[in-house]
Amino acid sequence: MSSLRFARVALRARPTAFRSPLQRRGYADVASDKIRLSLALPHQSIYKSTDVIQVNIPAESGEMGVLANHVPSIEQLKPGLVEVIEEAGGSKQFFLSGGFAVVQPGSQLSINAVEGFPLEDFNADAVRSQIAEAQKIASGSGSEQDKAEANIELEVLESLQAALK
Amino acid sequence: MAFAWKAAGITYNRYLAVASRAVRRSLKEDKRLQAERRGEMDLRFAKWESGRQGENKSLASANEAAMAEAASGGQQ
Repeated sequence: MSSLRFARVALRARPTAFRSPLQRRGYADVASDKIRLSLALPHQSIYKSTDVIQVNIPAESGEMGVLANHVPSIEQLKPGLVEVIEEAGGSKQFFLSGGFAVVQPGSQLSINAVEGFPLEDFNADAVRSQIAEAQKIASGSGSEQDKAEANIELEVLESLQAALK
Repeated sequence: MAFAWKAAGITYNRYLAVASRAVRRSLKEDKRLQAERRGEMDLRFAKWESGRQGENKSLASANEAAMAEAASGGQQ
């Protein structure tokens, strides 16, 4: 009997004005519409746990866009264009030479690559002359390894040329 | 997934090195000069047998020979 009365008092003692800001903070903590991106090269980190809206990556299994709450996965990257759509609404594009993207639980994305530069750092003439050279080696009479390496270069350069257009 | 370069005995490490070299060479002049320094590698090794140091060999050419062997070894 007395314990019931105590419970009712406790219920009344908690003002509603105190309860609502607590709820609001819990909601904002989740920030469920953002993905935390780390884009790292051996010599530089381009993004360091930065909240972004979306990241488009050229995976070997196909182009994919990664949003918040993506299913965890590991993707090998083709040499190609990574597009980052930032919180402010703008987007940035980087050409990566190949590596891995790891989608971790809790809306985290880590991309590791060997080289990565924004598109404006590339020289279209250098790409064109390298394509001509690589084609010569690929169809020449060199060793199997030389030809395979020329074909790897062609894959990179053609992807880069398409991105520069 | 089947990659053409795997059939030629090329490792993933070498694949990435070749791809990155092509990216560095495509940069504008000022960035290229800085970046190409990252691609340089010159390592040498020697095998020690019964207390004597063997011949000094370049790691790059030893790797190339190993990849050629892997290709002709008929690995799929």
